[in-house]
Amino acid sequence: MHLTGLAPLVTFVAETEGTAGGDPVAGRTPILPLWGELIFGIIAFAILYWVVAKKVVPNLEKAYAARAAAIEGGMAQAEEAQAAADAAKAQYEAQLKDARTEASKIREDARVQGTQIVNEMRGQAQAEATRITDAAHRQIEAERSQAAASLRGEVGRLSTDLASKIVGESLHDEARQKGIVDRFLAELESGDLKPQKVES
Amino acid sequence: MSLSLVGLALASEGESEGFHAPSPEEFYWPIFGSGDWTFTRPMLMMALSVLILGVLLVTLTKKAAIVPGKGQWMVEQAYDFVRNGIARDIIGSKDFLKYTPLLFSLFTLILLNNLFGIIPPIQYPTMSRIGFPIALTLIVYAVYHIAGMRRKGVGHYLSGMIPKGLPKPIYALIIPLEYATYFIIRPLTLALRLFGNMFAGHMLLLLFIMGGEYMLLHGGPGLKVVSVGSFLMALIFTAFEALIQFLQAYIFTLLAATYISDAISEEH
Amino acid sequence: MQGNIAILGYGLSAIGPGIGIGLIFAAFINGVARQPEARGMLQGIAILGFALAEALAIFGLVLAFVFR
Repeated sequence: MHLTGLAPLVTFVAETEGTAGGDPVAGRTPILPLWGELIFGIIAFAILYWVVAKKVVPNLEKAYAARAAAIEGGMAQAEEAQAAADAAKAQYEAQLKDARTEASKIREDARVQGTQIVNEMRGQAQAEATRITDAAHRQIEAERSQAAASLRGEVGRLSTDLASKIVGESLHDEARQKGIVDRFLAELESGDLKPQKVES
Repeated sequence: MSLSLVGLALASEGESEGFHAPSPEEFYWPIFGSGDWTFTRPMLMMALSVLILGVLLVTLTKKAAIVPGKGQWMVEQAYDFVRNGIARDIIGSKDFLKYTPLLFSLFTLILLNNLFGIIPPIQYPTMSRIGFPIALTLIVYAVYHIAGMRRKGVGHYLSGMIPKGLPKPIYALIIPLEYATYFIIRPLTLALRLFGNMFAGHMLLLLFIMGGEYMLLHGGPGLKVVSVGSFLMALIFTAFEALIQFLQAYIFTLLAATYISDAISEEH
Repeated sequence: MQGNIAILGYGLSAIGPGIGIGLIFAAFINGVARQPEARGMLQGIAILGFALAEALAIFGLVLAFVFR
């Protein structure tokens, strides 16, 4: 390590190899190779290269190829699935559309039918009501005329009874014969008859 | 490991007195043998890294499942990074598969060996011994030149390196420059960049740790306090080194891919 | 004083790449700020430029060890 100046390389190597104590190569300048190491390095690399080229790289490339194939297969599969899903979706949408139109049609029908039913019911109810009212009227009329008829008979009988009691003898046959009661009743109805005091 | 190394350095300093900055000699770690054919510690680490990577990569990718497990996923992240981020982007989608194993092994090997520089029981970047970067560079160098010559033919490959349509006198300057770039400067910088970064980074860590140790053990009370700062800097630079180590592995792989792409592409 | 004057040479050689790398990343940041979607493309180019500029500093470091 002393300051020896710029000695030429060859002289220097010879010098150090000559002066180094035990091993002549120990002091060799570090940029000159030890031949053993050089050759050993080549052999070592050759071995590693052989292992890598024969065992490692083919395996890895095989894995790469298999992976690429798997990915491509996966892609195809995915595309297929996508297509199937698309078809199913289209089908579903078509069905949905059908169902929707059907539903709206049904709703429309129902509304129409409903109004129809309501109208029908209303007509029926009206008719029924009219019918019931008519029947009631008729019954009332019948009852009234019946009542009138029976009243007429009753009133006649009563008045003749009364008159008989007043007169003292039965006027029934005579009254009937002579139509007195009818006349009386007719007068009563027309309002001509004035109440009279009957003296006894 | 650096710590025991510090101990060694300090023990030897007992005689010579005073602090010695870490020197390049400390990167030489013989295990047995001597001379150029010494079996060194970085060689052991290189063997270890090849073993770890080989076993790990093979076991984790053996199943090669379509849905990856955690381990396979991690390997795939690294592989994707090299395959798509480097190889395909730079070489182009036509030829890149042929070079992916090369780039992937380069990247993983360099990354793991660089990371050895901060992994506690090892703490020594293998690539700070220039033999290993040179070895890898030689392989890349051979691959890209051979690929280019095969693709275009030798003559066409060599003539294709020179840009066309320039005024004649400039060629006198540009021809040597281009050939120097392709045949000398590119491989040289490729190897030296990796080596230089790892070497300098490890040296820096050694300096801070050894300096801190020395100040703590041999300095006065004032220096003992300062040594805390030194250790703190070592910690900060360890984190910084992690970034550099990853970046260097990336750059080496990126440049290797660029050189290959340059050699085999039609235009240029 | 002990030391190696070649290390001074390395210090000098690190100035240029330092400035160059600064310029490269300044341009990179500018580019990303203007067009964030171009980040991926710019990143590769920026790191490539960084590596090329850094090569000079590496040469300096290497030469510091060659001539010491």
